Amino acid sequence: MLKTNRKNKDYWQFWEAREVTTTSRFFFLILVIAGVVSIARFFDWWFRTGHLASIPLFVLLSLIIWYGILRIIVIWINYLGIKKPERIEPEKGLKVAIFTTSSPGEPLSMFDKTLEACSNIDYPHTTYLLDDTQDARFKAVAEKHGAVWLELVGLPGAKAGKVNKALQMIDEDFVLIMDPDHIPFPNFLDEVLGYFKDKEVGFVQVSQAYYNQYRSFTARGAAEQTYTFYGPTMMGMHGFGTSVAIGANCTFRKKALESIGGHGIGLAEDLITSIRLHAAGWKSVFRPVVVSRGLVPEDFGSFCKQQLKWSRGVFEVLFSEWPRLFTKLTGWQRLSYLTISTYYLVGVTTFLYVAIPFLYFWAGWLPANMDFGMFLIKGLPVVIIAVLIYLYVQRWLSHPPTERGLHWRGMILKFATWPVFFLGAMLAVVNAEIPYIPTAKKAVKGLSPYTRPLIFQVILFVLTLAYVIYDRLYVVSEGILALTSQKVWGMFAFAFVAIIMVAGGIYAAYESSNLEPEEPWKEINLQDIKKEKHEK
Amino acid sequence: MKNKLKRLAFVSAAAFLGIALVLIFVYLGNRSSGPISEALGTLGDKVTDVEHSLLMKGREPVRSKELAWFNKYRNDTALLRHPDTILLGVYDNDYQKSFDNILKLDKMLDAPLPLIQIYIAWGDKDNEQFPMLYAKAIYDLGSTPMITWEPWLNDFNREEHNLPPAIQPDKNGMAAVARGEYDFYIKAWAEDVKSFGHDIFIRLGHEMNDPYRYPWGPQNNKPKDFVAAWRHVVDVFRKMKVNNVLWIWAPQPAYLHYKEYYPGKNYVDWVGVGALNYGTVAPWSKWWTFKEIFGNYYDKLKPFKKPFMVTEMGSLTVGGERDEWFKKAFTNLPKKYPDLKAILFFDDNSDNTTLNKTLDWSIVDDSTTCEAIRTAIQTTWNVNEKK
Repeated sequence: MLKTNRKNKDYWQFWEAREVTTTSRFFFLILVIAGVVSIARFFDWWFRTGHLASIPLFVLLSLIIWYGILRIIVIWINYLGIKKPERIEPEKGLKVAIFTTSSPGEPLSMFDKTLEACSNIDYPHTTYLLDDTQDARFKAVAEKHGAVWLELVGLPGAKAGKVNKALQMIDEDFVLIMDPDHIPFPNFLDEVLGYFKDKEVGFVQVSQAYYNQYRSFTARGAAEQTYTFYGPTMMGMHGFGTSVAIGANCTFRKKALESIGGHGIGLAEDLITSIRLHAAGWKSVFRPVVVSRGLVPEDFGSFCKQQLKWSRGVFEVLFSEWPRLFTKLTGWQRLSYLTISTYYLVGVTTFLYVAIPFLYFWAGWLPANMDFGMFLIKGLPVVIIAVLIYLYVQRWLSHPPTERGLHWRGMILKFATWPVFFLGAMLAVVNAEIPYIPTAKKAVKGLSPYTRPLIFQVILFVLTLAYVIYDRLYVVSEGILALTSQKVWGMFAFAFVAIIMVAGGIYAAYESSNLEPEEPWKEINLQDIKKEKHEK
Repeated sequence: MKNKLKRLAFVSAAAFLGIALVLIFVYLGNRSSGPISEALGTLGDKVTDVEHSLLMKGREPVRSKELAWFNKYRNDTALLRHPDTILLGVYDNDYQKSFDNILKLDKMLDAPLPLIQIYIAWGDKDNEQFPMLYAKAIYDLGSTPMITWEPWLNDFNREEHNLPPAIQPDKNGMAAVARGEYDFYIKAWAEDVKSFGHDIFIRLGHEMNDPYRYPWGPQNNKPKDFVAAWRHVVDVFRKMKVNNVLWIWAPQPAYLHYKEYYPGKNYVDWVGVGALNYGTVAPWSKWWTFKEIFGNYYDKLKPFKKPFMVTEMGSLTVGGERDEWFKKAFTNLPKKYPDLKAILFFDDNSDNTTLNKTLDWSIVDDSTTCEAIRTAIQTTWNVNEKK
């Protein structure tokens, strides 16, 4: 089945998200109100003194649960603002540059494809290759496709450093920063440039879509994690005037970048750039269209590296940018950047979630005395409505035919990367650096070291199970045996849910460990790209 | 203006429908409170059963082995109805968390206790249904459960059970029980008792003649209604062929009227009374000996010709010597009260049902008292026949 997806013709078709109608907003509002009322009921039930067992653990469990629920509420509020900007035909004669960057070790053939695709873009423009490979073949490829080759060696700040240097060397007014693994469609610039008629618009972001999902479980999961973001989530953020730049596929007004002293530098350079632009008063636009497709990490190790980079980097926005720019942001922007920059706290909450059953088995700490049946009865409506909302907003995905679904691979992958997020959060707290690691464009062989904490977790689970069985067979007093049965095995069920997710992650790592390195772009025929609008 | 109105209508319509959606969930939840929560409850019980059959086979039972002599009794209803020995038992208020106190008391008295009492009120809540988990746990420990079953009638959702509306459900409540209004609950119990599958004692509506105590008493009911209610409950069990219950009728003989409450010899297996010495903690109490409390009751209740059970035996420590109290009570007890066939210690260390302060009746940590009881039993009872 995966093999047929490989030839998914749908991928190479221009596509845009559905319009936002009053009716659809109305039905969505119904769901949100139902969700909020269910959460209120759950809240009312949760905080009862009868539920207290160990107070510190109960506080901890409550923080985990309610941190998660609070984020869900924020996301729902965000969806309430959902908005799709109307297409604006660009003026003729704008001076536009396309930047793409190359670094040592990146495959030459990929640039061959990307630069060719750039040269196919309809709107008149100049493509620049910002190169520090010191490899003459890169210059040759650039010239083959009519791109300007700029040698920018030894600049600090990796990609952003090269971009900033190049900005000083060009005289165009608009710059599209293209990730080298992305293949743009010919109509890319026609879809975005129109918005710059508004002199206050600083940047226009489009969806990021991918074409190598077929390669592995990891690739599919990683792509699934992004679908909702580059659809309803960003549309909501756009509605609230707080859509962000994602580094790749973002078109900037050069003047805007100059007003903040150039592209931001750091592990989350894109987010730093957008918060600074917003603080400087520039407006942003998100257009939910598929006008390019690129690559997601194919093997578990590369995925984790990418996630570590982001989770470490994003906290920088929380610690250094958000407080500094606070007064210059609008209320929604403050909320939005606070929410984004605390996203990776999920590593800490998942760690605690994973730890709770083990604390019970090894230290006898029980967080809460809750009737499991009541927990389900009160909690289930919240879960059902959250799932309904998740499915409902999929009507606004950028490419529903290939993106709809429960995204369970993405969920498993997100859970199984908790050690990475946790590490990222800890590094941020002690302000320790991780080296800049470029995201691998091709699969890396072997079982990733990022699976070690997961394997440890599985081993700990098995050892605990053995210990508890031994304990209950030979040690535990007869007087409590029958009475603790439900609690003990209930806790095991709790731990087992986590183990299933983690096992999924280990599977993803194992499956991608034997991936044949392949160059997915080689199969792409640029003539197949259809820039005409799809039929409804 | 028009725009504002439109927006207001939009939001309030959505709010209305959203709340309606939740109410539908709530309604479905309530509707299914039968099957779903039952299924969840059964799931919980099943966990214990599965562990029991998978894991506990490999575990050596200790207590039930020590209580092996009691198997003869607990597996024979006729013998439980007229035992040829005195069965000791206990209520411990920690039982929901752990039976460890009871195991400790076993050791202190050097005699594992064959009867374990728990108290259950009537109602819709989970802890008001037949306590299958505890009954099974008690059986696994080698004992037999004695359940004090208290017909409080104010904890039922009257609408859900199609009960006639009532501001005070307990007013004339026994007549309502007798009319069969609460059969849904009684039948569910009978079903569970049957599936439990071993003999149990049930003390239904105790101290029904005390005018100041429980709602099933004279302030709400006529004696004949209590009797009718009792017979109705027993008849429901019998009709459903639930024959593993021994019914304990337990009046408070300190009051003048109690005979009127007797349901009849075919409806009662045992007669129970409490024997608690409050010492001098309350203005109305003084240091009474066991003989002064129970001896008097014994004579009054003898004409019913049923075996006696002291359902709660205990003494506080204010106003006298507790170890002496127990020593006197237990010395030569079988000779003094030949029809007394069961005694249950009241090992409750936080009793606040009678006075507006917490009373500690527990003896498990009082080694002098336990020693006194043990010595009295070992030297003056003919215990050898038991072991």
